[in-house]
Amino acid sequence: MNLLSLGSAQRRLFAIHEAAVATTGAPRAAVLCYPWGAEYTYAHRSVRQLALKLALSGCHTLRFDYFGTGDSGGDEFEADLAGCESDVEAAMEALTDIAGTSQVTLIGLRAGANIAAGVAARHASIVEALVLWDPIVAELRSLPGALPQRTAMFVTDSTESRDRLVGLGFAGGTRPATIEFVPTQSPWVESATMTGVLPVSVIQRVIEWLR
Amino acid sequence: MAAVVTKFTEQAILLGPRRTLVGVIARPRVAPDPALPAVVILNTGIVHRVGHNRMYVTLSRMLAAAGRMTVRFDQSGLGDSGPRNDRLPPLAAGLADIKEALDSVQQSYQVSRFVLIGLCSGADQCVLYGHTDPRVVGLVMLDPTIPPTRRYYLHYILRRLSHLPNWISVLTGRSGLLSLLSAHLLRRLRPAEKSKPATLQDLQFSPYLGKSYAASAALGMKLLAAFTALSPRHEYARQILDAFPEVSSRGTLQLQYFPDSDHVFSSGPDRARLYRVISDWLAAHWSADGRRIGA
Repeated sequence: MNLLSLGSAQRRLFAIHEAAVATTGAPRAAVLCYPWGAEYTYAHRSVRQLALKLALSGCHTLRFDYFGTGDSGGDEFEADLAGCESDVEAAMEALTDIAGTSQVTLIGLRAGANIAAGVAARHASIVEALVLWDPIVAELRSLPGALPQRTAMFVTDSTESRDRLVGLGFAGGTRPATIEFVPTQSPWVESATMTGVLPVSVIQRVIEWLR
Repeated sequence: MAAVVTKFTEQAILLGPRRTLVGVIARPRVAPDPALPAVVILNTGIVHRVGHNRMYVTLSRMLAAAGRMTVRFDQSGLGDSGPRNDRLPPLAAGLADIKEALDSVQQSYQVSRFVLIGLCSGADQCVLYGHTDPRVVGLVMLDPTIPPTRRYYLHYILRRLSHLPNWISVLTGRSGLLSLLSAHLLRRLRPAEKSKPATLQDLQFSPYLGKSYAASAALGMKLLAAFTALSPRHEYARQILDAFPEVSSRGTLQLQYFPDSDHVFSSGPDRARLYRVISDWLAAHWSADGRRIGA
């Protein structure tokens, strides 16, 4: 685990890099994008667990707090969507340097999934795969471009119902290639904080899908 | 763009003998007075060091800007910190983590006195640990566990009786009141149960908690206790004084009440008041030039 400080003096970002363990072949790298607000608080340990498991599977990971959130610089009122997307870009740049890769996977949970989707749509040449974990689906219809061909959406118990998702429809280029429902507790709701339960099945599924 | 100049700096750190406890230290830009106690903020339940509503980040930065070194860190198995490797039970592990974190901060930053801050389970850990370590000179306990007193039961029962849905629960057998009272009675009838190792869940009935408060008071430790309207099993502002008379008699406790706040200070104005209360309490006991006042 490497504790890092990314970004500029004006926009300092707290980040943690987990080095890939036992890599074979070309290095792989993934930037993990947290949710916002209370969901960030509740899901924090689950995102850490995903980062550790990915590292064990041979993938460098970088997780970080957006400006104005978590341990990063700034006040809460300074956090906005455009800023978060620029923070993801800064994280991608740092991770490609660290891992010695030219491409990264973006993995986002809740609002983090939407932020990751926005960045992926603008950086098709760098983002090789995208994982949307319980995204805010309605917002996916206003992306600046198409999603990467290799995009998966994993949906757990507490997000929109399966019927609603199927009925919602996606604009051209915004439909994930894979949509899976994983029957497990959602880590970003308050009950998860009370019990400390980690969504092992989703984490496992994400890792399998990325292999 | 002009560089941002704050009155503090922040740095992520790894604490403990195995460097597995992840923390962030906030320090004033001007070297802090080494005689001032460093402030150490503990986890709330299993929420990581940032705290609910990012309250510990804001508090750390505010205190650092006012000249106080402040550390927030994740205990083992929480947030970004790894697990321990000694198989200690959870409460003992948490207390061992605090000691190891203080050791690291003392060694790396040459401070020898500490004030601990905690909310809920973190508050309980403050008082359970504080009196065991002579380096700890003050405790800030937010919604700590307070055992039920006679007056607590009176308030509780009267409040429940005045609420119609509770009558329906009693009549339909869904009320928790009887089970609460019978559990309390059973504990009184079975003294052996009292000597079981304490967990944070059964602290309200544990003599361990009372001894810790008494020891803290006997040491003259400065205590700040703040209670919200939604403090679990807390019915009136002075319940802590009735539950722990030693604390009351020593006069080292400052009591604050947040009647409009929920348990995690979700409202911005409540958090702002909390920060002021803590900051003023620290200043009252340990002035900015390092002199300890009134002790």
